[in-house]
Amino acid sequence: MADQNVVLRRNRPGTKAENFYRWCDEAYEEMDSTLVVQQYIQQTIRLDHNNIDTILNAPETQDEGVWKYEHLRQFCMELNGLAVRLQGECQPSTCTQMTATEQWIFLCAAHKTPKECPAIDYTRHTLDGAACLLNSNKYFPSRVSIKESSVAKLGSVCRRVYRIFSHAYFHHRQIFDEFESETTLCRRFTVFVTKYNLMSRDNLIVPILEDESAGQGESEA
Amino acid sequence: MDEASSQNQLGGSANPAGVANRQNLEEPSQRIQYSIPGILHFIQHEWARFEMERSQWELERAELQAKIAFLNGERKGQENLKNDLVRRIKMLEYALKQERAKYHKLKYGTDLVQGDMNPPVEEGGEEVRVDPDAILSTNTNVSWKQSRHLLRQYLQEIGYTDTIIDLRSNRVRSLLGIDGGGNEENHNSTPAMNGSDTTKRMPDANRWNVTKKTPSCLEAQIQDAERAVIDNFEFLRSEGEDAEGMEMDDDDEDDEPEEEDDVHRLKSPKVPKVALDVDDVDGESVDLDPDFRFLPDVEDSSPGVLGFGPGSRRVYGPGGEEDALEGLGELAQLTVTNEADATYDQISSTKENFRKTWTAKYTLRSHFDGVRALCFHPQEPTLITASEDATLKLWNLQKTVPAKKSASLDVEPVYTFRGHLGPVLCLAMSGDGDKCYSGGIDGTIRIWNIPSSNIDPYDSYDPCVVGGSLPGHTDAVWGLTYHGQRQHLLSCAADSTVRLWSTDARSPLLYTYAVEKDGIPTSVDFVYESSNQFVCSFNTANCVIFDLETGKPVTRLDTETEQGSSSISRQINRVVSHPTLPLTITGHEDRHIRFWDNNSGRLVQSMVAHLDSVTSLAVDPNGLYLLSGSHDCSIRLWQLDSKQCVQEITAHRKKFDESIFDVAFHPSKPFIASAGADALAKVFV
Repeated sequence: MADQNVVLRRNRPGTKAENFYRWCDEAYEEMDSTLVVQQYIQQTIRLDHNNIDTILNAPETQDEGVWKYEHLRQFCMELNGLAVRLQGECQPSTCTQMTATEQWIFLCAAHKTPKECPAIDYTRHTLDGAACLLNSNKYFPSRVSIKESSVAKLGSVCRRVYRIFSHAYFHHRQIFDEFESETTLCRRFTVFVTKYNLMSRDNLIVPILEDESAGQGESEA
Repeated sequence: MDEASSQNQLGGSANPAGVANRQNLEEPSQRIQYSIPGILHFIQHEWARFEMERSQWELERAELQAKIAFLNGERKGQENLKNDLVRRIKMLEYALKQERAKYHKLKYGTDLVQGDMNPPVEEGGEEVRVDPDAILSTNTNVSWKQSRHLLRQYLQEIGYTDTIIDLRSNRVRSLLGIDGGGNEENHNSTPAMNGSDTTKRMPDANRWNVTKKTPSCLEAQIQDAERAVIDNFEFLRSEGEDAEGMEMDDDDEDDEPEEEDDVHRLKSPKVPKVALDVDDVDGESVDLDPDFRFLPDVEDSSPGVLGFGPGSRRVYGPGGEEDALEGLGELAQLTVTNEADATYDQISSTKENFRKTWTAKYTLRSHFDGVRALCFHPQEPTLITASEDATLKLWNLQKTVPAKKSASLDVEPVYTFRGHLGPVLCLAMSGDGDKCYSGGIDGTIRIWNIPSSNIDPYDSYDPCVVGGSLPGHTDAVWGLTYHGQRQHLLSCAADSTVRLWSTDARSPLLYTYAVEKDGIPTSVDFVYESSNQFVCSFNTANCVIFDLETGKPVTRLDTETEQGSSSISRQINRVVSHPTLPLTITGHEDRHIRFWDNNSGRLVQSMVAHLDSVTSLAVDPNGLYLLSGSHDCSIRLWQLDSKQCVQEITAHRKKFDESIFDVAFHPSKPFIASAGADALAKVFV
């Protein structure tokens, strides 16, 4: 029935884990769905999650607001993996506050009056809140075009979400390192917020950009 | 003084011979002022006055007589009208009885035992003539009651078809087609009746010169009435034929409230709205409510009729008449409204066809990637979704966020389950709704203790929610199903095994069925009709029913005979077992839905169901409807007995070449849901 030449990119039931999403890539120009950007980002990540420049390099015709938005969605989604790992170790009894360095205690913004949630709750609430905001029909009714005023909201989401990285880095270093080696997520996130100027450099307290520049130097050398 | 003197004068004039002299004698001394001409003048004057007064009285009398005559005439007119109405009622009643008898005879082959079956025309007329004022009221009351009762019964019977829609909607659709015709006819005949009876005749009666009403006028009236009755009769006949066309079961008392509701629903334009609004309440109670509103309406109007004295001119005739027409008139009226209102037209027409049209009500947005599976709570209006973003989310449909468009409501999740380290592919919920099981690409089946649906989403973390996992599978778990009575869980995975789990035992794994020789299992389901079997579909298009105890194949569904394409394009994506019948339904990659007989393994029916591969199937708890989802972005609702598509809804967008991953019926509430690759889930009511 179906034209044999047409590649159907599907994870049919019964697909083995190793074959999940394993299909020949589709050029950005040929993607015609409304979820092009997500498809494209996920495709480049699957291709090589270490190749941050390619992943963050928007196709020429791509609207920047949507590009940032879809990347942030992807970050929040992948951060779930870090949250799952933290869930096992980061106990409310040991990490009673959301801290990274001794400098700040972060208050959880998910509540009507921001409060000092334990780190694991801060993590969960922040991710849940981000999920709600990024899926909000009010601010992001479309994934094809996004209002300027809504794009402005991305910065605060980035700032809050970043604290999960920093908490893991300073308090659960082993988890952080494992996760980072699997996903390169923190580095990608740091490059992302720097590139699009979504966070100030002062807030990027996880010392990963030095690594990043060193790594770049190595790869270029 | 004056009077006394005038009497004397009169007396004098009466006996002029005897008294005149004395008068004459006295006159010069006592009463000089009176002269004969003066007296005569006075007498003339007085007489003229009396005459005038008399004529005035006579005039008055004549006027009063005229008034009496007019009132008499009016009364006569009223009596005529009453007689006529009574006659019409009797004729209607008779016609109804005849129809019922005929119908009964046709249906049951025996004569219906009824009260008096005599044509009532003469008798009724006589009664009225004997003592119009006394008998009329009681007589009409009785006949009104009777005819009203009959009418209601008819409406109930017509309504009955509507309930059958639930069961036999195919038949019902054609039936409602005829029904619509009936309404049309009724609609036509009603104005005719109104035109000839109320509007034309009533002014007649109200005119001042009713006294002059002639026999010919009366005859015309009777003819009018007869015509009207015949009109009515035609209408009833057509309704009666409708009734014959359907299967009726007068004994089934339980269904009656619902039927009447359906009558009401057909008639009332506002009901679709009501149905939409209140659907999140329990379906049954929703059905009952309008019904109770309907009945009192009828009862309210009849006392109005009973209360009329014979003399109350204006109310009696038209009031009664309107009342009589109300039941019928409403039908016609409402058809008109429906036709007039374009937006309603669509709703009502689909409503008539399928009884229930599902419309998207809730949009569940919070996942970051495609929603792979969803399942409803057995009782509550809550559901859980599982996504490729590695989370599960709990949604309470009663906690909605006001959305921009009033058409659909946004729901925010009340809880996010984190535990999987990769896409979650399948989901099952325990029979009591306390636990939930999810299978992921990581090969784990996780157990979740579902928190309260009223939990604060930003409450502190409760590790109890994570209820552990069922280790065993070594590859992506693609299918999960829970058996409520057995409390067993069945899973299938890409490691080519199907596993049976006990959900309360310490060592949960009960059985591992190695099924690799048939291919990789894609979906499993318990066979509900037989107690110890399960059915498993494979990516090779095989589909086999196994014995749960022995793990041996019981029936191999005859998938090989299907001609055509390669097995990969015929892959079965989903298999479901009918809740009551020995029927297995498979959804294929080649766009087909196929129906199989469990005992023989034979193909019962194969149909191209979608424009793209069929990914998901769900059968409603009663086993009457099938819901299918496809990568063509649509979900379709099918009637299981006729295999006809009753509704199609475009629900989700594509991501790559995937669109819809799962569909579900709520086990006890009127909800259906779809889960899509666009990271949304939608709930329809």
